[in-house]
Amino acid sequence: MTAAVVALRPVRRWIRKAQASHRDRGDMLTTVYTVVFSIAVLSVMAQDTLRAVFSPLVPHLSGVGALATAACSTGLIFLALRRLGPVSVTRPAAYFLLTAPVSRPRLLAPSLLAAALGAAVAGGAAAFGILGNTVAAGSILLVATGALAGVLLTLLASAAQSRPRLASLTDTVARIALALGLAGLVAEAVGWTPPALAGEAAASVVVTVTGALAVLALAALLLGVRDLARTPNDAILESAKTAGTLADSVYGIEPSFFAEMLERRYWASRRLRSARLPRRLPPLTGQDLLLARRRPARLLWTAASTALPLLLISVPRWVLVIALLAGMVIAAKATTATIKTDAGNPVLLRMLGLTSRQVVQQRLWLPAVLGAVWATTALGLLQAAGALPPGPWWALGPALGAIGGAVAIRAARAGFVRNDLIPIDTPMGSVPTGPIVYAFAGVDLLLLALPTALPLLQHLPATWTTVAVQTGAAALGIRAYLSWTTDPERVGLAK
Amino acid sequence: MSYGSTPVLVDVGLTVPAGAGVCVTGENGIGKSTLLRCVSSLQQPGAGSVRVFGAVPGDSPGFWRAVATTVEPPTWYPGLTTREHAELVCRAHGQDPDSSGIDEALDRFGLAGHADAIPPSLSSGQKQRLTLALVLLRPSSLLILDEPEQRLDPEGRAMVAGMLADYLAGGGSLLLASHDDKFAAASGADLVSMEQLTGPGPA
Repeated sequence: MTAAVVALRPVRRWIRKAQASHRDRGDMLTTVYTVVFSIAVLSVMAQDTLRAVFSPLVPHLSGVGALATAACSTGLIFLALRRLGPVSVTRPAAYFLLTAPVSRPRLLAPSLLAAALGAAVAGGAAAFGILGNTVAAGSILLVATGALAGVLLTLLASAAQSRPRLASLTDTVARIALALGLAGLVAEAVGWTPPALAGEAAASVVVTVTGALAVLALAALLLGVRDLARTPNDAILESAKTAGTLADSVYGIEPSFFAEMLERRYWASRRLRSARLPRRLPPLTGQDLLLARRRPARLLWTAASTALPLLLISVPRWVLVIALLAGMVIAAKATTATIKTDAGNPVLLRMLGLTSRQVVQQRLWLPAVLGAVWATTALGLLQAAGALPPGPWWALGPALGAIGGAVAIRAARAGFVRNDLIPIDTPMGSVPTGPIVYAFAGVDLLLLALPTALPLLQHLPATWTTVAVQTGAAALGIRAYLSWTTDPERVGLAK
Repeated sequence: MSYGSTPVLVDVGLTVPAGAGVCVTGENGIGKSTLLRCVSSLQQPGAGSVRVFGAVPGDSPGFWRAVATTVEPPTWYPGLTTREHAELVCRAHGQDPDSSGIDEALDRFGLAGHADAIPPSLSSGQKQRLTLALVLLRPSSLLILDEPEQRLDPEGRAMVAGMLADYLAGGGSLLLASHDDKFAAASGADLVSMEQLTGPGPA
């Protein structure tokens, strides 16, 4: 039996009309006004920063550095497209229209075109930034080249969405491009002199290449839209869920929705084999160790990221300090999903019958060790590259790592964003306090890292006294955190 | 105990002697689960008192080491398999995972083939069986179970009822809510309806 294909346009028009009838016309104008006003205010506020990022006064990228940045940008844009779909529909459309006898390409084309537009803007911005940062001059036409590359990346990601082998291959290539790009940038930052590339490309070459890319992008776009019909339903449903959860996270100002979805999806795709929990470790520490060992790729990226602060040797000192602290906390967060689970619902803690102090003590070990290894390595690399004043900077790593572990645990215990807190009224409108409190949960403990941060900021040498003060501050601070926020006579992580 | 202006539990009295089993029955919405939640300290009654082993139930580790319950919907740790969840529960209670019968328990509950699966990938019936396996694996003095027969096939019901009878025979106490009188009787619990519990004195 064959079913006639129903025209999609009248259905969409009807949906839009029905939605509009429930909406006040003033609401739309208010939304437009808010968006335009916010963009204008943010642009003015971030003007200097944007100029420093996209077009600094002293460009520093060599030809190889520019290529490495381009490789990083390509990898990042492609991986982001793959994460989002790129072919997707809204959740209501996934429920009502995906199962309806409508033209599949017509249903899916708007999302592909939107993704292509977004990737073109990102590709163009990346090219503009690379041109602004590169010592050698380049044709401004390369911005269009970058935008076209973005379109082609979208179409490649779309093709990969319906072809598992291509998906696996392209994802690997994108990750390798990102890793190689970062490695090139780091190597150059620590003093490697890259081979000089042939001079600036002739305008005629750039025009020819860009023109060829434009023709290729147009042809690929036409083929890509035709190819949309073969995108499998499960892939579309998955990307619809991703986009919907991302929207929920943004509108609800609740990042944990998206993070939890990614976590669930990761474990659902893994084939595990039961292992014994390490006998010599406390049970929850053993569980965290098992969890960390099950994510080798994450550990590998964490290890590689210890070299990233080397990219920030020449930027203002405070940026380097923030990057060091942030990197250490991100490394420590590798296993805190278990704390998030317990903070959200203590049902398993009741089953285990462990007190809040036992839980936090046992769960603190692995984040502290990961943070310590990260901080020690990153500081050691910075010192080896001559970016730090003299002194035993590496010896500050263990104490810093323990603080990073405590920050990660405290942030994970924050659970969900509280939207019941009273908003603050400002001249620019009402500011919700819940998301701000959530964003800074745990960050307060970073004050304990001041004995390291201050000499770093002032470019002063580290001494063994600094190490002793930092270790003492970390020990006292973590002890106080445990005493004040946990109880040896209570089950559950609520503070 | 009331939800807003709707009273759910009024003048309810119940005593479960140590080492005995009581099964509360009654139609849906009559307050069985609310009663179990009050006994488990997961919900606070507006008036009256609850005592478990002579003390007010609460968040103390002593209470949760003595009481095991399936009143709450379970959550699961990310990246941990079914068998590892069971081993973690045993380890947290100081049991030797090799001699606590994890594999036998998973086998009896029909989960041996799912030992390497993560619990969210199991069906609702399998999750129910896993929760029951966990509460029966760990040591406890009182089991509080909310409709443990739900989502179990007839064979599974008979098996769980037998295990609950063994638990009672071993000196444990049992409080459960159920719609299945046969299951409750087979588990060795005395049946009492919610209507019987209401009145001036404890039932």
